[in-house]
Amino acid sequence: MKRRGRGIACMWYPIGFTVSANPSAAVVKVNEDGTATLLTGTVETGQGSLTILAQIVAEELGIATDDVHVVSADTDTTPMDTGAIASRTTYVTGNAARLAAEKAKKILFEVAAPLLGVKPEHLEVGDHKIRIKGFPQRSLHIGDVAERARGVNGDPPIGSASFNPATAALDAETGQGKPFATYVYATQIAEVEVDDETGEVEVLRIAASHDCGTPINPMLVEGQVEGGISMGVGFALEEEILFDATGRQINPNLTNYIMPTSLDMPKVEVDIVDSYDPTGPFGAKGVGEPTCVPTAAAILNAIHDAVGVRVTSLPATAEKVYAALKAKRAQEGKRLGAGA
Amino acid sequence: MATVTLTLNGDVRTASVPPETTLLRLLREEFGLTGSKLGCDVGDCGACTVIVDGKSVNSCLMLAVQADGRDVVTIEGLATMSRLHPLQQLFEDKGSLQCGFCGPGVIMSAKALLDENPDPSEQEIRDALAGNLCRCTGYSKMIEAIQAVARDGRGEPAKSAV
Repeated sequence: MKRRGRGIACMWYPIGFTVSANPSAAVVKVNEDGTATLLTGTVETGQGSLTILAQIVAEELGIATDDVHVVSADTDTTPMDTGAIASRTTYVTGNAARLAAEKAKKILFEVAAPLLGVKPEHLEVGDHKIRIKGFPQRSLHIGDVAERARGVNGDPPIGSASFNPATAALDAETGQGKPFATYVYATQIAEVEVDDETGEVEVLRIAASHDCGTPINPMLVEGQVEGGISMGVGFALEEEILFDATGRQINPNLTNYIMPTSLDMPKVEVDIVDSYDPTGPFGAKGVGEPTCVPTAAAILNAIHDAVGVRVTSLPATAEKVYAALKAKRAQEGKRLGAGA
Repeated sequence: MATVTLTLNGDVRTASVPPETTLLRLLREEFGLTGSKLGCDVGDCGACTVIVDGKSVNSCLMLAVQADGRDVVTIEGLATMSRLHPLQQLFEDKGSLQCGFCGPGVIMSAKALLDENPDPSEQEIRDALAGNLCRCTGYSKMIEAIQAVARDGRGEPAKSAV
């Protein structure tokens, strides 16, 4: 008989490690046509980090995302980056990109201020313009200011910056300290159907609620959460590297190393908890790895809710769930016998 | 050597290849169409999916000579110079791909489905994609994009069928 159950799991995850140096650097130049160029060492692997970085630079300069040309991961031209690792790119590289854009913007403000008859601190950016706060009609096109900065003032609007979450060694005796700059939080709920005669588990639905600071690009955040959950479903129920006695992997192929297909993936509902971290670029933290942290725990809790067995090793294959069900029945039978 | 003549994305093409050559290697190495990906090369991952006579096929499992005289559509046959195929456009709009390696195969599987069944249910879409493994996305946004294309009724005929 198929039995349904629900399970819940919560997690926190650290962003921006501080136990060793963890820098990213960026260069932003504002071009005479009002576009900008960002040089960053980070690598795009499909998660959308270059889009996020372009959005951050665009927001800082008051221009459109499409107007930011990103040059990435080229050791000839871009600054070294600690890596597209540890869910750090939006937070660490994003901060570096924002700071670099801010420096370029400061040069533009110095050039624009006398032309507009105000002090630089009275200026803001928006809609491709540098304008007076409170008087947006008094403005200059950002490209014109960039041209003047280079051609008249002799100070081309180029900013370079780095960001390193303050390195803080842990206490050698207690192991205590501040190992990360910030943290994200999430809760996932899984609904499963367990066949109590075969031990087969089907995940029907997962609801995932994630805090990532300001979601700079909600569509990309959803993509990360959905993808992470698919990895979590595989981790929970299917994926296992098997070795023979000599240590050789016996399933080094996708025929025998089973990962979720479109038929294994449940409906996923993503809820982004809008929050703001003052240390992140425009309040953002990160979202990559945290997405697959609570999934397996939620699914195994749901299996327990459905059929009352705890599987304590992953993946919870049909064989393991069936064995646990059988052991539970034997236990109950014994108890029944003792009582009679 | 074996001579293969096939209709490829609407054009008749001929090549002379060793008889053990797969359709995938013919496409990639003889014709330079590298959109179809070589993933597992044994029919597990679906990254090499192309459409042969209207059916989605793992091109790594089909010999080039088996494609002789047949109609083959690859991912390169979908977009025109002026616009993307609706599936490509919706995959872009909805952020359906991440690393993108599975993308050409997924889109060809989706196209084969929509050509045959312009109004598929979600389950029929999941069935159609079951042979295309994706490690990044969890398939959700692919399914949404395919549903959107079906909804818009914009599943265009293949270039070769025009």
